[in-house]
Amino acid sequence: MMSTAPGVTITRTGEQGSFGGELLTVNFGPHHPSTHGVLRLIVDLDGEQIRRLKPVIGYLHTGIEKQMEALRWQQGVVVTDRHDYLSPPINNLAYALAVEKLMGVEVPPRAQALRVIMSELTRLSSHLVWLGTSGIELGAMTMLMYCFRERETILNMNEEISGYRMHTSYIRPGGVMADATPRFFEMLDRFLIEMPGHIDEYESLLTMNPIFRSRTMDIGRLSAEDAKVLGATGPMLRGSGVQWDLRKTMPYSGYENYDFEMATSDRCDCYGRYLVRIKEMREAVKILRQALDRLPDGPVNVDDRKMLPPPREELETSMEAVIHHFKLFTEGYSVPPGDVYVAVESGRGENGCYVVSDGTHKPRRVKFRSASFVNLQALEQMALNHMIADMIAIIGTADTVLGDVDR
Amino acid sequence: MIDDKLVVDQGLSAGDHWMSVAADDIRQALTALKSDGYRLLTFLTCVDHLADASRDWPARYELIYQLRNLDSREQLRVRVFVDGDPPRIDSVHDLFPPANWDERETYDLFGVVFNDHPDLSRILMPDDWVGHPLRRDYPVGGDPVEFSAEHESWQTAPEKA
Repeated sequence: MMSTAPGVTITRTGEQGSFGGELLTVNFGPHHPSTHGVLRLIVDLDGEQIRRLKPVIGYLHTGIEKQMEALRWQQGVVVTDRHDYLSPPINNLAYALAVEKLMGVEVPPRAQALRVIMSELTRLSSHLVWLGTSGIELGAMTMLMYCFRERETILNMNEEISGYRMHTSYIRPGGVMADATPRFFEMLDRFLIEMPGHIDEYESLLTMNPIFRSRTMDIGRLSAEDAKVLGATGPMLRGSGVQWDLRKTMPYSGYENYDFEMATSDRCDCYGRYLVRIKEMREAVKILRQALDRLPDGPVNVDDRKMLPPPREELETSMEAVIHHFKLFTEGYSVPPGDVYVAVESGRGENGCYVVSDGTHKPRRVKFRSASFVNLQALEQMALNHMIADMIAIIGTADTVLGDVDR
Repeated sequence: MIDDKLVVDQGLSAGDHWMSVAADDIRQALTALKSDGYRLLTFLTCVDHLADASRDWPARYELIYQLRNLDSREQLRVRVFVDGDPPRIDSVHDLFPPANWDERETYDLFGVVFNDHPDLSRILMPDDWVGHPLRRDYPVGGDPVEFSAEHESWQTAPEKA
């Protein structure tokens, strides 16, 4: 066994390769700078070409599904934030929609619009992290500075609306945490005016950049048929030219009322997936503008004292309110027995939540169908017979979040 | 078309269609459903119904296969009830490739053994882990918290008060 850079070990296999040498097994990670978190890859190399690839996961397993079973329904929201840590509000949304569907609750229109606003802001911030880190891996060092500049604005907005910068827990079963402040709308309005120019800026750095193009074009091919068979979703699927976006095909939270295009690319390679994500960022700005302009008035929570606490002022005058408050925070609410699956579109693909209730105040089972976990299985298909250096571009454009993979 | 003889029960749960089939027929049923257009296995998982009084469950473990038809956009949940120690069922990784990792995960966390799976090993927990954490009789765990009342040294006065 030879040892080179930290996190990389090489073992001889004794198998004859086609270039006159023998196949070497190279271990990447789990702590390797270019593997986006703690992904470990075991790669069999023939010269510099990849012959076999096996992802090894589980290094970030935090037992989120087990924890959900020990928490009451409304407490679980905080844990959902933490599996796909680049898109917490979208995880909240999947869980909230599942619980609401099981309880037969419909949230008011203003809450739905605020949920769309938070989902799209999150999609933007998630794509910005992806663009920045992928840029750095492919030699465009400035991308990270540009992208994190705008992401900072989004995190400031998160702080304004929910009090937290990353793990917002803003979307909850029954509505949202609180109505947005006037300052939030001002910040959003300013952001939406500036953002299209910033996206042009990113594109001027990358889209026609010869180094970026040669490192991504025809790299990591995934045909439409393979993508469907392997269950890939999100930009991985749309980058292979398949028209499938849950916001369009199975709309939720009022997405059918917004005018936007589904971003697809027929290139089927890393460059195609890049184009899809850039287009999605532009469409997200479009959706946000419509949501902000047409934001309906009204309450942001369901009017159900059995599910959400009464307003503070009622506690001083109403005995009923005190009882409801006490019951909610000691026992919680119970959900009728049954099971339901709800899927929403996150920046990475289908973010689903399967919830089983046994009629008590805690879930019997919560399963997160994470997009990254399924998309990662397509990695071998994309990387076979490519050079080892291209693997970095392929992992980058697959955009897996290891918290989402391991849950 | 799926043979009616394979379907043990079917119905709606909060608007989601589901059907249950016998554990021995799972491959046959999923092959038929695949040819009916349900070509995507969205996820595969397990539910442990240990001490669940909400219904009279036929067995302790319920395996869930969530299928989707990408053309008609219909979804269908296939339920299979299995018992035994360890519970066993046939693998469907060759019918639906995404099932490969899902089955490994279900094995890892619930201890369900999938017959003929090419590499049935732990995927999320460490290889040398003992037990299957998502079973209901597996404790949540955690470190014991030491409160000041039971901790002598914390009660002594600090040197500089």
